[in-house]
Amino acid sequence: MNTRQTKAKISPRLIYITFLLVLFAVAISDHLMSPALSNLGAPTELGNACAPCGAPCVDAKPKVN
Amino acid sequence: MAVFSSTTKKQKSLRRGASWSFGGVDKPLLVLIGCLGLILTSLAGLDTGLTGLALVGLGLLLGMTFMGFQYGFASGWRRFLETGDASALSLHFLLAALCALIFIPVSAAGLGPSGSLAPVSVSLFIGALMFGTGMQLANGCGSGVLFSFAGGSGKMIVALPFFVFGSVLGSIILPHVLAWGSLGQVEIGGGLSGTGKLAVNLVLLLGTAVFFRWLSARRGFQINRTLLVATLLIAVLCWGVFWVSNHPWGVTFGFTLWGAKIASAAGVPIEEFVFWTWPGPHRALTHSVFSDTSSLMNFAMIIGAGLTAALTGAFAKSAWPNARQIQAAALGGVLMGIGARLSFGCNIGAFLAGTASGSLHGWIWFALALAGSVLGIRLRAKFGF
Repeated sequence: MNTRQTKAKISPRLIYITFLLVLFAVAISDHLMSPALSNLGAPTELGNACAPCGAPCVDAKPKVN
Repeated sequence: MAVFSSTTKKQKSLRRGASWSFGGVDKPLLVLIGCLGLILTSLAGLDTGLTGLALVGLGLLLGMTFMGFQYGFASGWRRFLETGDASALSLHFLLAALCALIFIPVSAAGLGPSGSLAPVSVSLFIGALMFGTGMQLANGCGSGVLFSFAGGSGKMIVALPFFVFGSVLGSIILPHVLAWGSLGQVEIGGGLSGTGKLAVNLVLLLGTAVFFRWLSARRGFQINRTLLVATLLIAVLCWGVFWVSNHPWGVTFGFTLWGAKIASAAGVPIEEFVFWTWPGPHRALTHSVFSDTSSLMNFAMIIGAGLTAALTGAFAKSAWPNARQIQAAALGGVLMGIGARLSFGCNIGAFLAGTASGSLHGWIWFALALAGSVLGIRLRAKFGF
């Protein structure tokens, strides 16, 4: 069967673990290079006022080209 | 005293649609994901204090709930379109009604948190249609991609990066199409008092939930009680996210941010695109990925779902997808990514948060994503599944 042939070549577990480690390594690097480190001990506000749904902020109209 | 064998327990839990069966703990994976969780918690705590810690906790619990109960949107909508079983849709509208119970009065009272309102525009229609199509091709929506990825699903390992890529494309397109046919934000019961607005929206949401419940019963389908419990749990967690972050829970903006950060690191001048000059996205782009609510919660949700999969022995149980399934997952990911940005979110950020906030865009999103699902189901056949 096709599925068995694919299974023999690729280990989903290995791919997943590699992907997960890369994802978190990139995220941690981004965090360490961000302004967050200079704010240690003085926690910052989360920037979520209008971002989560991706819609433009109500009180700050976007510039549309 | 009845004693069930582990197989019987597993079969029982599968029949209920949940995977809360501790068949075999995957210890190496549990340790790996646990360590990543500790790092995430520490960094979020140092950066954003108690707020960050609370959001990590809520994300973990959401991941555990979605994974443990296998709570999904895409499969439930497909069941409705293919078999007429609308029980999942009934639960989704019940979830929105429960969220509205808190979102609308708290927003109206001006206590700080505010609901999710987005414009009704051509981009909403196109984006939701694209999202619905992609959701069926990839077999998961925003939250579904996240928790299934964490559970080791091969299709989602493919769909997630393409979702990220598509959402960056969507962020570039959105500002150019946002004004097309825009009616602005339309609130249902907007002219009424807070109580009046809540009443109107509850009647609509509960009425729709009851309608789908009736439709299911007429066709011989019953509400799954385990998923009803999951719905109640998710509603409580959504209230928590709303209270802590001042905004309803959203998933896909985190993906867009991840893609923009990667593009920026690769030398693409992403910060020059209009979307990334808007205050919210600009702030997110210039700060840590753990400083944005949606992004932080996505990481926490992966940890929560991954821990559950490792604890229950449910990790990577499905066969690795074949070439056609991989193509479908990739196409579905791109369509969902672009669609999410054009239509202001996914089933969580647009449908759930929108309808629960009394925003008309949430209802339009539901109708168009359901229509897109019809197209997606037809395309699934072309891809051989």
